[in-house]
Amino acid sequence: MKRIFSALTAAALLCASAHAAAPIARIQAMLAKPDVMCGRFDQTKHLAGMNKPLASSGRFCVVAGKGVLWRTLKPFPNTLRLTRDEIVHFEGDRVAMRLDAKQEPTVRMINSVLFSLLSGDLAQLESLFEVEGSADAVGWKVALKARAPALAKAIGAIALDGGAYVRNIHIGEASGDRTDIVFADIKTGEAALLPEEAALF
Amino acid sequence: MTGHKGLALAWAMVVCLLLGHNAYLWLGQRIVPDTDILALLPVQERDPVLQQSFSHMVDAAQQRVIVLVGAPDWAGAQRAADAYGAVLASRPGLLEQAKLDGQAESDWLAPFQAHRLALLTAQQERDLRDQPPAFWTGNALARLYSAFAGPKLGAFRDDPFGLFGGWVQERAQETPVRPRDGRLFVADAERQYVLLPLTLAAPAFSMAAQEAVLPLLGRAAAAARQAAPGVQVISAGVVLHAAAASSQASGEVETIGLGSLAGIVLLTWFTFHSLKPIGLVLLSIGIGFLGSLSVCWLLFGRVHLLTLVFGASLIGVAQDYGMYFLCNRLAADPACDSARLLKRLLPSLGLTLLAAVIGYLGLAFTPFPGLRHMAVFSAVGLVFAWLTVVCWFPLLVGGGALRSGRLARVYGAALARWPRFRIGRAALAVLAAFAVLAGFGWSRLTADDDIRSLQTPPPQLVSDQLKLGKLLDAPTPVQYFLVRGASSEAVLQREEALKHRLDPLVAARAISGYQALSNWVPSARTQAERRVLVESRLLGEGGPLTQLGKAIGEDAAWSAATRAHLLAPQAPLTAEEFLSTPPSEPWRHLWLGQVGSVHASIVALRGLDYAALPLLRHAGDGIEGVQWVDKVGEISSVLGRYRQYMGWAVLAAYALVFALLLPRYRGRAWRVLAPTALASIATLAVLGLTAQPLQLFHVLALMLLLGVGVDYGIFMQEQPDRRHAAPWLAVGLSAANTILSFGLLGLSRTPALHAFGLTMLIGTALVWLAVPCFTAETNESAHAPATTD
Repeated sequence: MKRIFSALTAAALLCASAHAAAPIARIQAMLAKPDVMCGRFDQTKHLAGMNKPLASSGRFCVVAGKGVLWRTLKPFPNTLRLTRDEIVHFEGDRVAMRLDAKQEPTVRMINSVLFSLLSGDLAQLESLFEVEGSADAVGWKVALKARAPALAKAIGAIALDGGAYVRNIHIGEASGDRTDIVFADIKTGEAALLPEEAALF
Repeated sequence: MTGHKGLALAWAMVVCLLLGHNAYLWLGQRIVPDTDILALLPVQERDPVLQQSFSHMVDAAQQRVIVLVGAPDWAGAQRAADAYGAVLASRPGLLEQAKLDGQAESDWLAPFQAHRLALLTAQQERDLRDQPPAFWTGNALARLYSAFAGPKLGAFRDDPFGLFGGWVQERAQETPVRPRDGRLFVADAERQYVLLPLTLAAPAFSMAAQEAVLPLLGRAAAAARQAAPGVQVISAGVVLHAAAASSQASGEVETIGLGSLAGIVLLTWFTFHSLKPIGLVLLSIGIGFLGSLSVCWLLFGRVHLLTLVFGASLIGVAQDYGMYFLCNRLAADPACDSARLLKRLLPSLGLTLLAAVIGYLGLAFTPFPGLRHMAVFSAVGLVFAWLTVVCWFPLLVGGGALRSGRLARVYGAALARWPRFRIGRAALAVLAAFAVLAGFGWSRLTADDDIRSLQTPPPQLVSDQLKLGKLLDAPTPVQYFLVRGASSEAVLQREEALKHRLDPLVAARAISGYQALSNWVPSARTQAERRVLVESRLLGEGGPLTQLGKAIGEDAAWSAATRAHLLAPQAPLTAEEFLSTPPSEPWRHLWLGQVGSVHASIVALRGLDYAALPLLRHAGDGIEGVQWVDKVGEISSVLGRYRQYMGWAVLAAYALVFALLLPRYRGRAWRVLAPTALASIATLAVLGLTAQPLQLFHVLALMLLLGVGVDYGIFMQEQPDRRHAAPWLAVGLSAANTILSFGLLGLSRTPALHAFGLTMLIGTALVWLAVPCFTAETNESAHAPATTD
């Protein structure tokens, strides 16, 4: 997951690109797109030059109109909150980092892309990526390729698959670093948000 | 008479030469007056490096027009910007639109990646010195596992501690402008904007450019507003200010100019029943102007706009010569030959010329080239105008050519009832009252040389400028630091020393940041220090890198390999290398490179709080080769020094003129000067009482006032007998014309013209009223003096 944020920031600092259409209406129809969606994630990273993969896990929430919460619980607890105008990184209650749109105008763009990625909003993603997809009765697969060369170089290739929700995200970077994220236990509606999570929004 | 014809013919030849030379200069050479106000500084104070830094910062900024086209959404903003651009493209060659280089986007980071160990932010450098190894290990682990810990560029092993990523982020924040879809993009809470940097092809101060650019920008903005809903167009540029100023000025020229022309025509008509006198007076002044331009160009090879404008106003005194002759012609017996009349007037005419020329030449003894040029310009102009009167007027105006109008008779009669100044109790009381009032006014007199107080831009322009400044967080082009050194390395090192001083000012919000080449290319010394610092604090055996390996279950081989990868030998990044890469494009203007024997650069300031200027002025004190530059302050100080020198020149001129008058008038010499001196004192007192700060333009007007006032004094003292109306008529006509031509400028809303005009208005009126009071008493029942017919 970190790759996505990092690469997006880096790339967005440099550029962004837009527009075209892909036959993705079927996939769009399969996606549930709830207002509130929370679940569990398991992330595995294979970094260039390292023998062992790095595993981490935690919870995530996507709230329409508000933003994204990404809570890593293991091995080091920390929380990331992305809203329209800022990105805040908490370690416990302490704010370890805050990036707001005033400082960095691309924050809004990053956050909207991330929100789209987690909720599977392909129409939105098309502004930055060439989207190629296929769908059958039980699920769908999509490959994203950044339209701008700089973004493509920074992010590499992104693949998503899922059904009513996004199930897997795979990112392969040009540098050789790879990241796999698996989503599970997805719940929707206001009740899906734990009290401590609701408090953070 | 024949002798005079020869004289007139000779003068006609000279005038033909003048016309030829001027035609050659303006049409052949196409000379353009200097406009840079710093060219008016004494030569030894001019500094080639400073000049070049100005041309990098200010001249470039003068030609720029920055336009932001914004809409609530990005697609709308792009449509509006396209519509805007299409209108601009319809007039090619006027405004050039900068093209965005797509290649520059993709390889933005490449030049830096090879040098990443030496590229650190100030905070990172402090942390490297102060923080324990556990801080760095924890930091790297958090970055490894957390979803987001700032930007990371390339593989983890390239930048395990996130130092390079942090540096890139800090660099990106030097400007909020981002490339997006092949355009430049900024945003605020309400709108997304496309930034259109435009460059004006013609000079910003040329009237043609202003007249063409403004309507074009207006049409473009209208097209943009039609292209999408909620569009906002914000524009700023020197040309917009210049255009606003000249449209205000030309509007005023129309009203004030027409008013004063109508007044002069009516006045002349009612006095002479003819318009010929105006034609003649204008002829003499015109020849004076052309003559001084020729002579100045031959002497100096250049003319400054300020010299031209001020010099031309000072030549205005020359109307007195023509008026004096014409009024005497009117009063004299029509049978009297004009050449003989002139012979009689010659001593007083000569004296007035000499007084004005000597007065103006006082300006030549100041160290400022602008004032010297002005002195030569106006003195030469007066001589030429005077010679025109002397050589041509007697032939052009014969006896009986002029008839006295009703106005002249009524006005002339008023002289007989005018009060006369006699030393006595009443006069002393009046003098004492005057002294008290004047003293009070003077005590409240202040000076203001701030160039900004000479401008009154429309509020719309000011608010656009503020919005633009906020959105772009751009540095000010007129206040910055100039850094010099023997080599580029020395310059970079001094920049770094300066930046250490500026950091606390950023923290104190005096500035929001600074732009410097050393932000991108640290000095070689700093780069070496940083590599050593990173190596010793992070990469050493048992240090954070080894501990990080342990924490994630990697062996010693991993740490060793990563260490070797990071420490791969790198030559330091050099300024020259950086400047040859695309990412340096926005920063190239900061680097002056080698100028003569030194290297120089600019450190520009963003988000300057003007209240903090005194702090900034001294921020670089004590660092060798660092100089604070404030062009606004510089120009203001030039104006201030000109004001002071000119003030002294006025005083010296009074002394010189008095010395000149002494041999002819002896005990009456003071009577010639007193009206002008009193009027000047009173005018300054009025300025003090009405809380108008003193400017260069007030003092300039006082100089002109001395020129005209002395003429009036001489005219009246030459024929003090009150039965002779000719001098009184000449004074009245000259003064009325001066008030109509210069004094009406007091109605102008352009501050410089207002200051000049108001001083002339009050001063001339007072001299006019006072001058008959000081004529010496004559035995008016005795014979008419020998000097009258």
